[in-house]
Amino acid sequence: ETVKFAHWVPPAHTLTASTIEPLQAAVEGSGLEIEVYPGGELGAGPLEQYVRVVQGVADIVWGLQGYTSSQFPLTMVSELPGALPEGMTGYDMLWNAYEAGQLDGEFPGTVPLALWLSEPNIFIMKDVDVRTPADLQGLKIRVSGSAAAAAVEALGATPVQMPAGEIYNSLQTGLIDGVITGASAVGDFKLDEVANSYTLNAPLGHISFYVVMNKAKYEGLPAEMKEAMDSIIGRKLSQSAEEGWNARAASVIESLEAAGDNTVYTLSDDERAAFEELTYPIREKVVGEVGGEDVLKTMQGM
Amino acid sequence: MGARVSTWADGLIRLSALVGTIGLVIEVVVILIDVIGRFFGSPLTGAQDISQMSMVLIVFGGMALCDKIGGHVNVDLLENAMPRWMIWAGDFASAVIGAVIFIGIAWTTWSSIYLMRFQLGVVQKTNIIDLQFDWFKGAIVVMSIITAIGMILRAIGLVLTGDNGQESRGHA
Amino acid sequence: MSVEMIGLLGLVALFVLLGLRIPVAFAMFTVGFIGNMILNSPQAAMSQLASDSFSLAATVELVVVPLFILMGNVATETGMSRKLYDAAYAWIGSIRGGLASATVVACGGFAALSGSSVASALTIGRVSLSEMERFKYDNRLSTGVVAAGGTLGILIPPSTGFVIYALLTQQSIGRLFLAGVLPGLLLLSMFILTILVITWFKPEMGPKGPKTTLSDKMRSTGGATPILLVIVLTIGGIYTGIFSPVEASAVGAGLIILIGALSGKLTLKTFWKAAQDSVVTTATVMLILISAYMIKTFLALSHIPQWLGGFLETADISTLGVLSIMLLIYLILGCFLEGFAMMVLSMPIFFPVVQQLGIDPIWFGVLVVLTLEMGLISPPVGLNVFIVKSVAPNVSLGRMFRGVAPFWLAMFITLIILVAFPQISLILPDTMIN
Ligand code: NA
Ligand code: NA
Repeated sequence: ETVKFAHWVPPAHTLTASTIEPLQAAVEGSGLEIEVYPGGELGAGPLEQYVRVVQGVADIVWGLQGYTSSQFPLTMVSELPGALPEGMTGYDMLWNAYEAGQLDGEFPGTVPLALWLSEPNIFIMKDVDVRTPADLQGLKIRVSGSAAAAAVEALGATPVQMPAGEIYNSLQTGLIDGVITGASAVGDFKLDEVANSYTLNAPLGHISFYVVMNKAKYEGLPAEMKEAMDSIIGRKLSQSAEEGWNARAASVIESLEAAGDNTVYTLSDDERAAFEELTYPIREKVVGEVGGEDVLKTMQGM
Repeated sequence: MGARVSTWADGLIRLSALVGTIGLVIEVVVILIDVIGRFFGSPLTGAQDISQMSMVLIVFGGMALCDKIGGHVNVDLLENAMPRWMIWAGDFASAVIGAVIFIGIAWTTWSSIYLMRFQLGVVQKTNIIDLQFDWFKGAIVVMSIITAIGMILRAIGLVLTGDNGQESRGHA
Repeated sequence: MSVEMIGLLGLVALFVLLGLRIPVAFAMFTVGFIGNMILNSPQAAMSQLASDSFSLAATVELVVVPLFILMGNVATETGMSRKLYDAAYAWIGSIRGGLASATVVACGGFAALSGSSVASALTIGRVSLSEMERFKYDNRLSTGVVAAGGTLGILIPPSTGFVIYALLTQQSIGRLFLAGVLPGLLLLSMFILTILVITWFKPEMGPKGPKTTLSDKMRSTGGATPILLVIVLTIGGIYTGIFSPVEASAVGAGLIILIGALSGKLTLKTFWKAAQDSVVTTATVMLILISAYMIKTFLALSHIPQWLGGFLETADISTLGVLSIMLLIYLILGCFLEGFAMMVLSMPIFFPVVQQLGIDPIWFGVLVVLTLEMGLISPPVGLNVFIVKSVAPNVSLGRMFRGVAPFWLAMFITLIILVAFPQISLILPDTMIN
């Protein structure tokens, strides 16, 4: 049997080695083949990715909750600044809530194979060194969602929305002064060629991801294949994905430091506190708006 | 009776184009306000949400009128070598295939709304100002049906009168 | 039957449908839909019809299509295009084919800026075709120039073509941008040379205008000031980071509308007509783009790219032979796939072969991007030519393809030169970035 895995990033993306290949390897012996369609081959762009798997264009898809955040208000609580407790992993957070049944309503018609968080978001700036919130006053920062936009506003900067593909050019021309996202995006979108100052350890949250499978397709798998699938899906596959993202981020940061023409700065805990004061209230506000207090507690294992 | 149907269809086609044109005007205005606002440090909240969704109206709003005035590009390389009946057959096939495609788009878009919204309870919205996708998908359904009606009427006209019935393009 | 065979049959069916005068978009929808139905499932084909229609229509980057057409339409309705061509005519009209050369430069400049050959063909086509007709230029030359001119843009930075190539192959965007500069200028010169050769042998295709005095030149330039100002502001705004190329389409349209309204040349009625025309042309163009996506999925499912890649890996041919075959494949695929869709589809399969053979990836990128654009103007199925046709419905495709042919030849010669002399592509990136 063959199932189709669809995503819209190039095959060289972290996704392949961290998530797809382990999944393929785990089910290989059972005769289940996972055929990958990268680069949006089964349909354009991220917007309709979830619809695609529910309707059976693909059997498995990868996606970002953030592209259609209205569908995932509770899952996305995990992304907020300070939601992830020190020493905990993002996938444990997400699976804590999923296994408690609190996220069922956000993944209808599918079975999540992996849920995880990216490496921490950082400041990726051109010609501006960010040490305190004051350094951001009036700057234009690209963000993707409404919670991130609120955080940027709280920090005194102007949030700018634009498609990911336009970030490179916009940084180059000065349309934006910086981007808030994970370090791995610096590699994925070649932002190192246009950005030159990176600030780590700011409380800016994370990005959440999913790999889900069409429920009927999953339940219809022959017993042996389903068993092989069950041996990896859940925390195990999510761990592999999250570690892949973190490793990629670490290697990007290492190469940024090695390049020599960049400033890579890690905020001290005192410096971080000044940002926390502004971004943590956004978390409280968003959690309140979506009624996510209980979910967040479950996520954090409390 | 036939004349009345086609007058009605014409009205719908114009209406659909009107919605598309309004979408275009909104698009220009919203982007301009956003650009100017951003220059002064306060961009328009949700500008990208609005441009994305008005694009849907622009693209599908003009579809029916585009077909009516023969705006779809076809390969006319062999046209001069074709007998009249073959040209007629091509016109007829185009109208029928076009109608099937647009009925298909309408039907599948509707099933996608039905499945996500009514069966799974997922209401998808844009990220910043919560514009519901379903309103714009609904517009695709309605506009595609109007486009298909125009094509069906043209196919019927081709059978009854042998005439293509497409207006010629206005400009160039 | 193998999936590859189904893929090939689908392409044959596409040619048959097009030959029967079925509109391009309908033909691609039909083949794509039926193909996906067979190779995936009926349910999948149906769902894709809905999800691609919606997600492509809701693509922010494609906002440039309706807005740049609107800009072109309003410029034409208010006579600003006419003034621009009067000025161009005063300056270079006395040279044979002068206006065509000016249009090529304009196309290249516009596409360079917008990064999109589609937007360029639409906007410049709308503005220039009727103007060149006014000065008795043959419409084969004028449509050929517009269809080919847009191809300059993806060589000259900023270029979305290079960005996509860079992200797919993990190459430096900056190096690719630099690599495109000299080939872009070379191609521009080749296009102008082509116009000179055409009008040398057939002067009636781009007739010489009268000699003009300096005061004639200044007066006509004065008349074109408003539209020149819009062009300068739009370009300036992009390069200084005030707005993005996508937003520039709204700024350009807005400024032209404003000037038209202030000068009294744009009434509500003419504005409405221009806007409705833009909506209709957008429908034509976007339907073709959506249908091209259906074909792309069909080709992906047919595994034809893998099959070709496997063939290239195992075949016993020289590096140059492999390179030539790859470029030939791009040329053929380029006929019915939008360029970027094609790159996404093929690069994951071809690029490993390129690396294995030790072909310079930057150089290869330049060659691929140029070949892609050649495919877009190759008969009998050239997407860029169809796009020009959507703004010039009165010119037959046959005439257009005949008009494009000499420019296609110029691109082919440029391609051979670039293959023979990799330095042309590599000297700038090698000296300016290490
Ligand atoms: Na850098
Ligand atoms: Na360009």
